[in-house]
Amino acid sequence: MAPFSKILIANRGEIAVRIIRACKELGIKTVAVYSDADKNSMHVQYADEAVHIGAASPKESYLNADALIRAALASQADAIHPGYGFLSENASFAAAVESANLTFIGPSADSIRAMGDKAESKIRMKEAGVPTVPGAEGLQSLSEFESAAREIGYPILVKASAGGGGKGMRIVWEADDLPEEIDAARREALHAFGDDRLLIEKYIPDAHHIEFQVFGDKHGHIVHLFERECSVQRRHQKIIEETPSPLLTPELRVQMGEAALRAAKAVNYFNAGTVEFIFDPNLSSLRHGSGQAFFFLEMNTRLQVEHPITELTTGLDLVQWQIRVAAGERFPYQQEELTQHGHAIECRIYAEDPANGFLPSTGKLLRYIEPRGPGIRVDSGFRAGDEVTHFYDPMLAKLIVHAENRQTAIRKMQTALRDFVVHGVVTNLDFMQAVLAHPDFANGRVSTRWVENAFDWEPPSAPSFESLVAAALADIEIANRKSEIVNEVDPYSPWKTLNGFRN
Amino acid sequence: MKLTFDNATLEILLTGKSYRVTLGDKTAEADILHADAERGQIEFLLGGERLTAYVSSDHTKRWVTVNGQTFVLTRQSGSRKRGGGHLHTAGELTAPMPGQIRAVNVSEGETVTKGQTLIILEAMKMEIRIQAPMDGTVSKLLVKQGQTVEREQKLIEIVDKVER
Repeated sequence: MAPFSKILIANRGEIAVRIIRACKELGIKTVAVYSDADKNSMHVQYADEAVHIGAASPKESYLNADALIRAALASQADAIHPGYGFLSENASFAAAVESANLTFIGPSADSIRAMGDKAESKIRMKEAGVPTVPGAEGLQSLSEFESAAREIGYPILVKASAGGGGKGMRIVWEADDLPEEIDAARREALHAFGDDRLLIEKYIPDAHHIEFQVFGDKHGHIVHLFERECSVQRRHQKIIEETPSPLLTPELRVQMGEAALRAAKAVNYFNAGTVEFIFDPNLSSLRHGSGQAFFFLEMNTRLQVEHPITELTTGLDLVQWQIRVAAGERFPYQQEELTQHGHAIECRIYAEDPANGFLPSTGKLLRYIEPRGPGIRVDSGFRAGDEVTHFYDPMLAKLIVHAENRQTAIRKMQTALRDFVVHGVVTNLDFMQAVLAHPDFANGRVSTRWVENAFDWEPPSAPSFESLVAAALADIEIANRKSEIVNEVDPYSPWKTLNGFRN
Repeated sequence: MKLTFDNATLEILLTGKSYRVTLGDKTAEADILHADAERGQIEFLLGGERLTAYVSSDHTKRWVTVNGQTFVLTRQSGSRKRGGGHLHTAGELTAPMPGQIRAVNVSEGETVTKGQTLIILEAMKMEIRIQAPMDGTVSKLLVKQGQTVEREQKLIEIVDKVER
C-alpha cells in the first residue's frame, strides 16, 4: 500500500519534479503549486493536479505558508513535501502543517528550531561531544579579546554575533592587528545589524567543506550515508559536489560519521538531514599528528540540493525513503550494511555569467539539450522554450555522473559538460570545464575560498574560428533558400529555411 | 560573400560543393554534411575536421556551441555602420538585468557624489546597487520603489554639476 494517497509539493523547479517522480514511483498522487511566473513550468505539467498560490514574488507564493496549507487541504492531500529552500527549514511552517492534520515530510519542528539557532545549536553540539570551531563569545574589553585570541591561537576570525553574509567578518593574522580590527568589525556590525557584539573563532585558511548525510526513521533508528565534499564554492554557494571525498581516510570517515550521528541524535532527528563540517586538511595529515581536523558548522534539516550523489553511491532513493519514513515506516538498513560504490560528482548548471561576477542571466531558453549516456543523470526543471526569470534561483539543472572511481567520474563529467547545450542564457558550463581540468581539482586541493582566491579564469577573449564558421554556414543556408520562402513567420530564424533536411 | 560577427569578418566563396572561408590570414575549406533544423544542429567538415555545432538565432544574436564551447555572436549587417551596443548619455543609468526596485535613495534635483548608491535593484535573490558614475545632480528619476523593471530600462539620469 502506498504510504500516502496524495502529496502536495511546496516547491518548484527541478526539486519539485524530482519529488513528483518519487511519488509516481510509489503510486502516490501529486499536487504541484505555482506562482504567476510558473504557470507553464515543467513541475506543474508533471503533477497530477496543480494549484495556483499567488504572485511571482516568493513571499506571495512559495513562502506563503497559509496559501500552501489551504491548497493542500482543498486538494485533499495528506502530506506536504517542502523540498529545499523556501519553507523547508521553517519550524513554524512544519508545526502549522502538522496542526492542520497533514504530515510534514521532514524532521520535527523542534529539531528544525534547535538547529536553526546558530548559538543554541553550537552549545548543544558541544554538550553532545561534537567538535565545534574553537572560539569565544560574550567578550567585552579589549583585554578579554586579546587573552581569548591568544588561547585560541592566531589567525582568528572576528565575526558579528548578529551577523551573516560576511558582514563584519575579519581575519586577524597577528596580535598587533587585533585592536584595530576589533574596532573596525564593531563599526561594521553596528552599521549592518544595529548590534556591535562580536565573537571570535579560530580561522582555518584552507578549509574544506565536508558534510555527512544522515537518515533516520520515527522509531529512533538513524544512520549516516557517508560524506559529500562540497568545497568548490562561489559566493559561499556550492557549485560542484562529490563523494567520496578525496581527503578522507577510512578512520576519519568513521569518526566524522559518528560525530554526525551524535549531532543528529542530540536533537532527536528523523528523516533526511545533513551535518556540515569545516575540515582542516593541514591538521588531518599525518605530519601534523593528532590535531582535531573537523568541526561542526551547521545542520541542514532538509533534503540537500546535492542528494543525488549520495543516491548514486549508496543505491538508495532518498526522496522515496523520506516519504516512507514520514508515513511511519522503519528504515530497514543498519550502518554496517551500508557501503559506498564508485564515485559520483554533481555540477550545478547555473544561468549566470562567471566572467561578470557570477551575475544571473535571464531570458528564454532558445535551445536546451541535455547530455545522455550510461552513468549520466540530469535533474532539471527546464525545457527548451522556458523562460528563466529573475524571481527565483538561477539553477537550470544538476548534472550528475557516476563511475568506478574519481578519475573516470571526472572524465565522464567533462564529456557530459561538452554535450550540454544551452542557448538563450549565459551559463557556467565553460567555467565548470575549467575547474574540472585544473590540477588543484585533480589533486583534491580545492578549498572553499579557492574560486575567489586562487582560480584565475577568463573566458576566451575572441570567438573561435569554428564558431564563426558555424554561424556563417547557418546564415548562408538562409540566403541560399530565401527565394523559396513565401511567408516567413520568424524572419530571424535561419532554420525556417531548412525545413526538411539537407543531406 | 562577406559576413561579419562581432568584429570578425569572414570571406566566403562557394567553390563547387564546398566553401572557402577566410578570416584574416586563415583560410579553410568548409563542407556542410548535414543540417537538422529541429535541433539547430549543423555538421560540417572544416579543414578536414568533422565538427558538430548548434546554432540558435535571436534577432541579430547567434548562440553557437561547438567543441563544447558556447559563444554569443552578433551579426553585423553589411552596409550600415553600427556602434557597439546601446548608446547612453554619460549619466543615464539602466537596469543591468530585469528585477524589482527595492529602494530609491535619492529624489530629483538632489546632488549626488560619485559612487553613491542611488537605487537598489533586487534580482534573483541578489541586491544590485546602482551607483552614481560621477558627481552631479539627479535630473530625472524614472522609477519608484516596488516597480518591476526590464533589462536595459532607464532608471535615473544624472547631469554634471557644471552643466546646470
